[in-house]
Amino acid sequence: MATVTLRNIIKIYGEFVAIKGVDIDIEDGTFVVLVGPSGCGKSTLLRMIAGLETISHGELKIGGTLVNDLPSRDRGIAMVFQSYALYPHMSVADNLGFGLKISGVSKSEIERRRGDAATMLGLDPYMDRRPSQLSGGQRQRVAIGRAMVRQPEVFLFDEPLSNLDAKLRNQTRIEIKRLQRQLGATVVFVTHDQVEAMTLADKIVVLQDGLVAQVGSPLEVFERPKNQFVAGFMGAPSMNFIDAVVGPNNTIEAGGISLPVPADRFDLPAPGTSVTLGVRPEDIVPEGHGTRPELGADFTAPVNFAEMLGNESLLFADLGGTEMVARMQQPRPIEPDQKIGFRIDGRRVHVFDKNSQMSLLR
Amino acid sequence: MAVDITDQNFINGLIEQERRAQRPRGRWLVVPILVLTIAYLTPFYYLFVTIFKTSAEYAQKGVLELPASLAPFADNVVQAWTIAHLGQAGLNSLSYAVIGGAIAVAFAAAAAFGMTRLNLIGANGWFMLIFTGTLFPFQMYLVPLLFGYQRLGLINSWLGMLLVYVAICIPFPLLVLRNSFSGITREVDEAARIEGASEWRVFISMIVPNAKGPLIALFLLQFTFIWNDLLFSSILANGIEVRSIMVALQSLQGTYSTIGPNVVITATLISSIPTVLLFVVLRKYFMAGLQLGNK
Repeated sequence: MATVTLRNIIKIYGEFVAIKGVDIDIEDGTFVVLVGPSGCGKSTLLRMIAGLETISHGELKIGGTLVNDLPSRDRGIAMVFQSYALYPHMSVADNLGFGLKISGVSKSEIERRRGDAATMLGLDPYMDRRPSQLSGGQRQRVAIGRAMVRQPEVFLFDEPLSNLDAKLRNQTRIEIKRLQRQLGATVVFVTHDQVEAMTLADKIVVLQDGLVAQVGSPLEVFERPKNQFVAGFMGAPSMNFIDAVVGPNNTIEAGGISLPVPADRFDLPAPGTSVTLGVRPEDIVPEGHGTRPELGADFTAPVNFAEMLGNESLLFADLGGTEMVARMQQPRPIEPDQKIGFRIDGRRVHVFDKNSQMSLLR
Repeated sequence: MAVDITDQNFINGLIEQERRAQRPRGRWLVVPILVLTIAYLTPFYYLFVTIFKTSAEYAQKGVLELPASLAPFADNVVQAWTIAHLGQAGLNSLSYAVIGGAIAVAFAAAAAFGMTRLNLIGANGWFMLIFTGTLFPFQMYLVPLLFGYQRLGLINSWLGMLLVYVAICIPFPLLVLRNSFSGITREVDEAARIEGASEWRVFISMIVPNAKGPLIALFLLQFTFIWNDLLFSSILANGIEVRSIMVALQSLQGTYSTIGPNVVITATLISSIPTVLLFVVLRKYFMAGLQLGNK
């Protein structure tokens, strides 16, 4: 296993600058997830690491060696594709063995490694089948097995779960994480799904328009988002944003209420400055549901719409003209336009600079 | 009131109704279909009665009359075979069709791989250039080809014929293979490249096996075309040692020919055996050829 280092990486397509100078350090044996909305450059970045795209500028090192100009096959990587990219004309066994065979690994060694991978992934009963005779989940496992038998320095995953149905996706997610721990593998995993990113990653890299918006542990990225983009992207449903003004004595005024916040949480500008207040749905607590926040502000509003999810409900209510989503634990039926009291948790809100959109967290 | 599905009469009614809906329509089509079938089969009937007649019998009887016995067939075959040198001509045609068809499809595949996978500069230009080959009628090439071949000494030569056929048979397979190669996911060859495959390896181990259907179908089409070609071979290669089976067939007919139509027809039958056989044996691939481009 190896480290991966990206320094000032730039990618240009025609006249379009897709990656705008990215630095990432991936330590040996860590699970790094590149996450971001479509078009943020995460797949391009992965394909550059894989050697499937040229690097316009910057340095890419794998295991300390500069690999910018090395062909894919000499980089010590293995990749699992979104479409799995299994060889359709080969049996599962041949799919697993192809790479080893063409690199001249002995038959007995191929047999051994293939056997290990097949057992680990539960593929033994399917070795003679063609990919078209496998279910999505089985294909996925073959793709992972094909990467494993090569014993690469680094595993690359390009949205490998997006073609699976919801239930299988959750299962496979856990399997991949377990496998990574077992192998102690260095993994770079691309996804647009922030839940996948949160659950899989040791380290999340949030990308925005070809730039790194934030790097950190899942909890760090979730609890201390550096800017409004990261705050909005991580967490489902997204964080609510509302125009606000800094009030006197560590308060934020928004939508007609004055919300007290802890004095040591933010570097607040002078009172009267416009800011953006960010509140996660779980921090808008409906009256009588969940723990009532100690520090906070109340408001009452009619519920425009309620989404019942069973274990919880999402309530859409107006706060001074901005629709806010609140999360209701242990839900009860809500009538349309029913008035409900909410309390915003002042200890957990976020405040962003109006212009730079950077977080004002201390 | 709810529907009672235990009522068998009610269910039977529904069954009948469904059956009626599925019954084929347009029974009036039977008559035109029958007429067309007869029109289509008449030449075959003519062929089968003619090959069993002697020359004298053919001259006396009406063309569609039944032969007196089946015996003259053997003699007809012997005559056709020896007079037209069908053995030599058949071997010639077979070599043109197998070798020429195979080389042409192989070249087309290599070109299609280059155009779809290798990021060639001006790939589209190359494609258009090769594909123009199919836009002009073959007759257009004949005169320059004839003079060119005379100068180069390729006239009346086996190699000359092979060259013509290879050249003619490249454009169409290229068109088809370019499509079917682009239909193979790029991620498959990317995966192979990451696993250490060279471009050649990707071509041989990934692209070719995944386009097996179209490749075989195209080979069959080119084989049939070369086997059936009369135009080029009659102009460029008339010598007995190099002429194709269609030219040999043509030699049986002519102003001064004394050979009866019964022999000519028998020769025709013999010369069509290989393509028919090939079609029967490999019809699966012919059918695949009908949906070329899709796997």
